[in-house]
Amino acid sequence: MHAHPPMRLACRQATFRYPQTASAVFENLAFDMPGPGFNALFGPSGVGKTSLARLLMGERDGFSGELQMTGIKRVLYTYNTERLPGWAAVGQHLERIIAPRQHEQKDQLVELFDMTPHLGSRFAQLSLGQKNRINLIRYLLQDFEMLVMDESLANVDEPTREKILLGIKARFPDKFFLYISHNVIEVAKFCRHILVMAGKGRTPSAAMVAGQDLTGDQPLERDPLERTMLEIMNAA
Amino acid sequence: MLLRRIYQFLIIYFLGLAILLGVKYALRLSNYVIPDPLLLGLTFQSEALRYFKDVLDTMSIAIIGQVLSICLAVLIGILGRQTTWFGSFVKVAAYNVQAYPIVALAPIIFILLGDGFLSRLLIAAMICYFPLLLSVLGIMAEPIGDIEHFYRITGRMRWQLEVKIRAFENLSKLTTVVAGSATLAMAGTIVAEFIAANAGIGYSIRIALYQSDLGKILIALFLIGISLSVYQGLLEWAGAIIRKTWESR
Repeated sequence: MHAHPPMRLACRQATFRYPQTASAVFENLAFDMPGPGFNALFGPSGVGKTSLARLLMGERDGFSGELQMTGIKRVLYTYNTERLPGWAAVGQHLERIIAPRQHEQKDQLVELFDMTPHLGSRFAQLSLGQKNRINLIRYLLQDFEMLVMDESLANVDEPTREKILLGIKARFPDKFFLYISHNVIEVAKFCRHILVMAGKGRTPSAAMVAGQDLTGDQPLERDPLERTMLEIMNAA
Repeated sequence: MLLRRIYQFLIIYFLGLAILLGVKYALRLSNYVIPDPLLLGLTFQSEALRYFKDVLDTMSIAIIGQVLSICLAVLIGILGRQTTWFGSFVKVAAYNVQAYPIVALAPIIFILLGDGFLSRLLIAAMICYFPLLLSVLGIMAEPIGDIEHFYRITGRMRWQLEVKIRAFENLSKLTTVVAGSATLAMAGTIVAEFIAANAGIGYSIRIALYQSDLGKILIALFLIGISLSVYQGLLEWAGAIIRKTWESR
């Protein structure tokens, strides 16, 4: 069996401010997040979740500090307002961005995401949730070690979202996912490690909370989930 | 689309004519200054066919000039869309050069190339080229971030795809710019003919001016306007067809 190198995302004394601005988006941020697995970045709006995601992508302007990625060579970042070009059906776009060997994987993902009936539609003809689903499928079909999903399942109904998250976890156990969401139940339930970025002026600026990391074959226990949610809310 | 263009022109033309006739009757001006409707009708009968041929002559040059301008503007727009030093250089050069009035260069062109086809074509192309270039540059240099992100991050972005995305997203704008540039090309050709050429409707207007015959000028303007409206309407229609085909392919 092929042994994967250990994955780790770590950050020390990280500060980020937009050019020509005095106040920092986040300051002295430090965390250590082991991978692989389905992890989350949680916090109120404006604390720098997307800025941190862009730092992971290599956009270092305005950043100081140390960012370490071990066992992670290729990072992809997807966000919820992305669009596919309108000159072809979404199914045709998917065909064009995959290798021939990936057809089976594509079909499985399309089915998991309940997108089979919509492959013949143009992107503009889809609902917001369908748009986000088709966008996420094309990222999952790419070569990556880490995928940052910035509100990637916004506007998707809860049962479908749950099915998709469990499906992703089952199909990509050796990948590092960083899921940015404002849904505390969702991150508490499905994520292994949750980096909670605190609101402005709060110390510490971030805390790591262990999530329930639910998989499809285990029952959900109410009490631990509620404790995790409470921890997240206290840290935010 | 085509009909709308035509009736919009007819409304404006006859409104202008009504104002002119209003001035004539209010100030009791003679037919020599502003001809009455009967004289205009007679002038139309005697000159319309000849002028229509002149308009077609002018328009054929304007269309060739416009096509050349579009090709050049798209080429330079594609080169200038890049954020490299070359792209910036092309953009700055385009913005600076267009600030110079092309009509002012027309005499030089006539001196060097004579008063024939080539001078008219060159002036028409130059007059409609710069506004076209600025629009194409603006469109091509503006990233469509929410579409391009995926192709960039996965290393799939090629210049052809970048151009395709930006052109597709701005197809309505491009169609409007191309239809609008038809007026500029026509205006450029007429100005060129008016200054020094020996053919075309601009040349005929110059002769009518020497004869102080406002009737002939008004007939020429009518034919220019109606032909241009038809041409622009056809361009918009073609743009709509292209867009529809592209979107439903």
